[in-house]
Amino acid sequence: MFFALRDLRRAWRRFVLVGLVVALVSVLSTVLGGLANGLVDDGISGLRALPLTHLAFEPGSQAVFSRSTLTEEQLRPWREVPGTEASPLGVTFVNAKSEQGGPSIDLALFGVPDDSFLAEPGEVRRVVGGEPGLVLAAELEAEGVEVGDRYELSGSGVTLPVAGFTDAGSYGHVPIAFTSLDTWRATMYGEDHRGRFSAIAVRTDDPGALAAVDRAAGTETTTKVEAYDGSPGYSAEMATMTLIRGFLLAISALIVGAFFTVLTVQRTRQIGLLKAMGASTGYVLRDGLGQLAIVVVVATVTGALLGTAIVAALQGGEVPVALSLGSVVTSAVVLAVTGVAGSLVAFRRIARIEPAVALGVES
Amino acid sequence: MGDAVDHTPPLRLEGVSISVPDGDGRRVLLDAVDLQVETGEVVAITGASGSGKSTLLAVAGLLRRADAGEVHLAGTPTATLDERRRTRLRRRHVAIVYQSANLLPTLTAVEQLQLVAHIGGRRGPGPRREAERLLAELDMGHRRDALPAHLSGGERQRVGIARALMARPSVLLADEPTASLDPEMAAQVAALLAAEARRHELATIIVTHDAAPLGHADRRLHLRAGELRAGAVELAG
Repeated sequence: MFFALRDLRRAWRRFVLVGLVVALVSVLSTVLGGLANGLVDDGISGLRALPLTHLAFEPGSQAVFSRSTLTEEQLRPWREVPGTEASPLGVTFVNAKSEQGGPSIDLALFGVPDDSFLAEPGEVRRVVGGEPGLVLAAELEAEGVEVGDRYELSGSGVTLPVAGFTDAGSYGHVPIAFTSLDTWRATMYGEDHRGRFSAIAVRTDDPGALAAVDRAAGTETTTKVEAYDGSPGYSAEMATMTLIRGFLLAISALIVGAFFTVLTVQRTRQIGLLKAMGASTGYVLRDGLGQLAIVVVVATVTGALLGTAIVAALQGGEVPVALSLGSVVTSAVVLAVTGVAGSLVAFRRIARIEPAVALGVES
Repeated sequence: MGDAVDHTPPLRLEGVSISVPDGDGRRVLLDAVDLQVETGEVVAITGASGSGKSTLLAVAGLLRRADAGEVHLAGTPTATLDERRRTRLRRRHVAIVYQSANLLPTLTAVEQLQLVAHIGGRRGPGPRREAERLLAELDMGHRRDALPAHLSGGERQRVGIARALMARPSVLLADEPTASLDPEMAAQVAALLAAEARRHELATIIVTHDAAPLGHADRRLHLRAGELRAGAVELAG
């Protein structure tokens, strides 16, 4: 790196353009990462926060709560499995109209029984075990909803007071509202609920036993993470984000590769000179690759820091973004590695340069 | 009996031939050329443009392979060596002075020399001191931190000579070292190059278009139609 470091220091202007492009790609990648995290949070943070390991759905429902209806009869085999906790869970999307004349709000209504492991001690346990009411995601409190406000759940004729707030998160880009399973059933089915609910929440240390229970209960079990795909729009959003970020990585690799190739062509005589001085191809490659790696890493880190600042500034606004150090670091590392990998296209060209070009002699 | 003396010449070319594509056929640049250069000997080779002088240097310095024949460098036959071994041999025994110095534009004078040591695996403060000493010996000590763009043609060539000496070679090859200099400077550089070659006991070949180096050579050869012949044609300068 003797030559590379000095060349970089004294001819840094030559690397400004490629550094700028890589930094911009890094900014975009980091912001998109923040957006992806935000969309994940918006889509499944509520489900992710629930203390369950698996969810059992009606077969064929593909982890979509609205396509799944189960009964108490199907719950029974689940409750008989040693070392496994099982709880009915009702999930539906409702529009709640304020009785005080405020704006109506969309809610993901989660119904859980008061003895459920899902209703951990706190606001949710207090409400589902007491008078009918709603425990809303805390973000709604920030939007002006207050304890005691009453909301009519559209289409059901059921009106419920806001009993409290909790860090429930959201599901399907809608804030979660916890209520008791009975209230959920009344909202969903009225009097004729026949003990129905959407899915069975399972907490187990022995996932191997679940297939047999599925067969006995007539259910289809997914892991919690697999169930994320059932959140409206989640799969498409993640696929879109992955595609865009993939394109960014490919663009970065192409740009760096093209730059390094052009640089190699421009430096043909210099590389020939180094080889004529006795430098091995490996020495020349290390020098060139090291130089480019420094540019790519510095540009990527700069871009990642700038992108992080943008995501931080956007947080709490209309755009759903979330900062995750792990995501930023992973994204930056992948981008840097991809960028440097792009330069490998010039390796053969460097290896083929003959030392005789230093004398202007072609072989 | 006295100590055995090693009489292996640093450079010996045996029946070296090279031809290059030329239209539909091939043009012979070197035709079974034999050449031996002894330790401390300065050989000047003249020849017309395109006669193959630089190609001869490239073959002698293991920068390219001959179509036929053998190059013995420091007693080692090189024709069948792989590229890695040829590179190592070149690094240990060969240094080149180029027409327009061929310095790397982003390295200072002293760094041009340090790079040679770095490529040769010599690290630490030693090479820096050696580089400064060599530059001082060539009256370039005061310009050691200057970039090539800030050096005159003569200064660049002096740095080029110092860089070649930094490699501690046994064979020195110079490709038109005075061609880009004015006559006065050309005479100075030619004298310096020959003096340093003798002082360091280097087997030296200078190919030239220019008359300046001829007066400093121990032997003059002329390359024509692929053959090396004794004597040099009359050159301007």
